[in-house]
Amino acid sequence: MSSKNLERRIVPIFLCLLIGASVNAAEVTWKSANEISQEALERADLKGPGPRDATGYLPEKKYPFTSPLNAEEIGYRLMNFNHVASWAHMLADCYGSVTKEGYLTEGITLGMIDNVGSEGGPEARIYGSPGDVFQRWNYYYTYPPKSEGEQQVWHLRRTGRDEPTKLDFFVYSPSLRRVRRQPPPRRDAQFPNSVQTFDDIVGLEAWEFEWTLIGSDILYSTVRFPSNRPMLTLARAGGRFYEQEASKIRMMGDDYPHYRKDDGIDTFVVTAVPRGDWLPKYRIGRVVYWVDQHYFFPLRIETYDREGELLAIQVRMGERQNPNLPDGHGYTNPHSAYWDVRLDLVTYSAHDSMALAEWTKEEKETLFNPDFMRRRWNRNNAKSQVLIRDPKKFHLRPEILEGRFPTYRSINLSPEVLARVNAQNAAGRLVFAGEKLE
Amino acid sequence: MLFWQLIDEEAHLLGFRFFRQRLTGWHLSFLLLVTFSGEVATASMRDRLAGFDRFLATFDPGGRYLTRPIERLVPGLTLNGTYTFASDALLSSHDNVGFRDRDYRWLQFQSLFELEANYQVNSNIQITGIFHALYDPVYALQGSDGLYAPKENERLRGYEDSKDIARELYVSLRTLKFDLVLGKQQIAWGKMDGRFIDAINPMDGRESVQLESSDYERRRIPLWMANLTYYVGSVSLNFLWIPGFEPDEHATYGSPWYSPLYSPADSVARHNPTLLQGNVTADGYTVDRRSKPNWNDFAEHQLAFRVDVPFGAWTAGLIYFYAWDKNPSDSITGRFTENGVNYLSLERRHRRLHHFGFTADYAGTLSSVPIVGTLPVVLRVEALLSKGVPFADLDEYTAALEGADVDGLRETDTIKGAIAFEFAFPHNTTFIFQPSLYYTKDWKSTLGSGFGGAVGDAWALAPVIFIKRPFRFTRDRLAIGLTLTPYLSQPTRNSQGMKTKVKVSYEFSQYLRGKIVYTNYSGGDGNDLFGGYRRYDNIGIGFIYEF
Repeated sequence: MSSKNLERRIVPIFLCLLIGASVNAAEVTWKSANEISQEALERADLKGPGPRDATGYLPEKKYPFTSPLNAEEIGYRLMNFNHVASWAHMLADCYGSVTKEGYLTEGITLGMIDNVGSEGGPEARIYGSPGDVFQRWNYYYTYPPKSEGEQQVWHLRRTGRDEPTKLDFFVYSPSLRRVRRQPPPRRDAQFPNSVQTFDDIVGLEAWEFEWTLIGSDILYSTVRFPSNRPMLTLARAGGRFYEQEASKIRMMGDDYPHYRKDDGIDTFVVTAVPRGDWLPKYRIGRVVYWVDQHYFFPLRIETYDREGELLAIQVRMGERQNPNLPDGHGYTNPHSAYWDVRLDLVTYSAHDSMALAEWTKEEKETLFNPDFMRRRWNRNNAKSQVLIRDPKKFHLRPEILEGRFPTYRSINLSPEVLARVNAQNAAGRLVFAGEKLE
Repeated sequence: MLFWQLIDEEAHLLGFRFFRQRLTGWHLSFLLLVTFSGEVATASMRDRLAGFDRFLATFDPGGRYLTRPIERLVPGLTLNGTYTFASDALLSSHDNVGFRDRDYRWLQFQSLFELEANYQVNSNIQITGIFHALYDPVYALQGSDGLYAPKENERLRGYEDSKDIARELYVSLRTLKFDLVLGKQQIAWGKMDGRFIDAINPMDGRESVQLESSDYERRRIPLWMANLTYYVGSVSLNFLWIPGFEPDEHATYGSPWYSPLYSPADSVARHNPTLLQGNVTADGYTVDRRSKPNWNDFAEHQLAFRVDVPFGAWTAGLIYFYAWDKNPSDSITGRFTENGVNYLSLERRHRRLHHFGFTADYAGTLSSVPIVGTLPVVLRVEALLSKGVPFADLDEYTAALEGADVDGLRETDTIKGAIAFEFAFPHNTTFIFQPSLYYTKDWKSTLGSGFGGAVGDAWALAPVIFIKRPFRFTRDRLAIGLTLTPYLSQPTRNSQGMKTKVKVSYEFSQYLRGKIVYTNYSGGDGNDLFGGYRRYDNIGIGFIYEF
């Protein structure tokens, strides 16, 4: 081979490699654990877990822990950021799902939340005795018409090795006119026509999982609104409505002080693997969290089956709703979206009209008593206009973030799903099976 | 190549050896065209269905053009409308069954429209009205001789009386400590499927053995009452004062579900207005006097009390109900002779009953269950003891015909109760096992039926099994449920047959649902509870639109 020929071959290859490397460098936002920056390691500790306390399974160090937090301690901090905020409040909980064909269902339920044993935060859940109730919810459904007047009371219980019951679940059905105790939903099973599981709603018990810090990443978007839904009508506490440009809703709200200059958020990425001695038959084999590096608020959660294949992606937006709690503990998620990648089912949840509550002793005794539901008395007058009502204006499927943390993330979408994802990304809105774009 | 091999094999199998030779290029082109256009048509159909699905998902004209505009106009008012269509058709051919002239197929073809209006006067006072319009054309559509009940009871065909149309009307006054609900209303006490301590309101039992728990809401007959609940901590005390009284309604002569065991034959009964009006019994006994509890007399009102207490994983309640038997009983008042045959004169009235009830439920999670791991479970228990229940005693009737001075009734106590185990299996599958027990104290074979007792026996056991599963591949829109209700009794009848119900339901949208229900009656003898309906297997189609 002549040197000229060699040159002809090597130069393009070199140029390609150079261009590829530079493009890659621009796109790579994630780092594996051993590449996490020193500055970030001031907040996260790759070591751990540390010694146990007298229970034999809880960490000896006490919640909320001091920096740097190891992966397990981040897992405990995640217990503060469940789907439902951990302090006493009222809200209009709006939710919906859309199938790949565009079949839309939505609902509104008005919630009243009471914390037992703490003013807010997961301490009662972590340090309570197994079987103790740590939070009580009362939900009154106002939409759709078939659900109007249905009510639920949830008493969330601290679990233990011999106390697997996580929930006392009571339902009032207008068609039965009875308050009935129901079996609690299976923890890892999705609700009917929804991506959400029961554990998505109430969160995980950190001690039931093994936690690993697998790296860091930068997120630039979580919940994505479609281009044809530029404005949302949201409600403040007290029910006053306001218009909000969807594009201006930031991932952690306007007052989050730790945005990057490019508006991204630095995150740690941790995995939680169910411990066989606590959850031997758990359907989920691994959970991967992207949590912001300062408050450990989860912005993205992926679940994988026991074979390691992706099941669902949850993305969330955070907002400080409780200014009384320090250090970011007052954050909760007003908007979240879920995607079941196999069924290609997308679910959203919007917590609207959220208002802090201070329940009187009389209210605590009455409102969260299952028997209260027999009265068919809706005490929460929260309003919401956040229902989507048009499948084409539904939230986009979350980004796939392909190629990041490949050791822990096996993503194999079917060609049909992938085609719909690509069509969605091109159109700026969901594109349904069989739908022809104009 | 493969294609031709297949064709060859096919041709060989069919014995058409000339097949390949005849399969010219034209044929092949035609086949490919058909296959291709078939696929295109299937894809096109699928796309159209998806489009229709999207359209139907948000199609809600009642909400869009009726309830929501009115609610916007009148702050504080909420409206809900429901249209229910229910039809059942017999699967067996037209024939007579027992005394019934069963020249019809349709058991119901019913349309029911319900409008519920709630007006919030202020944060503590609410006014509620629930209105019904019902029409069932089964009596007109089939040209049947066997369906003539509307001659005497028009409400079986359609509601015309304000009592039926203005179904519930009440005012609620609420504070944290107490609730007072005044007006016409229905109360459903208890936690079980089926009626155990749910004894306050009478029931429209026009569907007889076909009546299901899911029908109770629209079949309970509301009563005028004052309903007061007082809360002491987590304990609630509920008191009912019920001046209004209505009896149970049943399938009657000339209605689709009237028992084939009851004489006389329809050919006779339909021409006998005194029988249809209840002035004479099938045996020819006259009902000379009839009475109902009197609204204006406080001593004739009903009173009820309930206390509910949660403790730990248990909730429990006790009830007492000073009630009337909702079914009148006939006492013998005299004897007369006609054409040399002795007959009895009867007085038909309701009797006082004392009901004592108990209800409790418990929830837990079983761990380390094989295959499923953890298994959430709920246990429910409920029982009702009824004191002084009147039963007609055939021995006394016989003695009275011979001149004895007896009233024909025997009072005894009954107990009905159930224990239910509900499990939440994977895939949102619900499984309930609910053995129910019915017992009549001092029962003997000459006793008729009475509130709370077993049918035709001293005691009966109905171990109900229910399983329901939604299907995820339809996004849980399709669900199939199976209910098995065997009825076993002792000491005389053993098995009285079994009722089997298979229900397939589908959610067309969150406003519109449809269902197909197959109901089968099997086993037992012709005079048994379910055995008597062995030729009443039926299939029903229904849908419900809520807006």
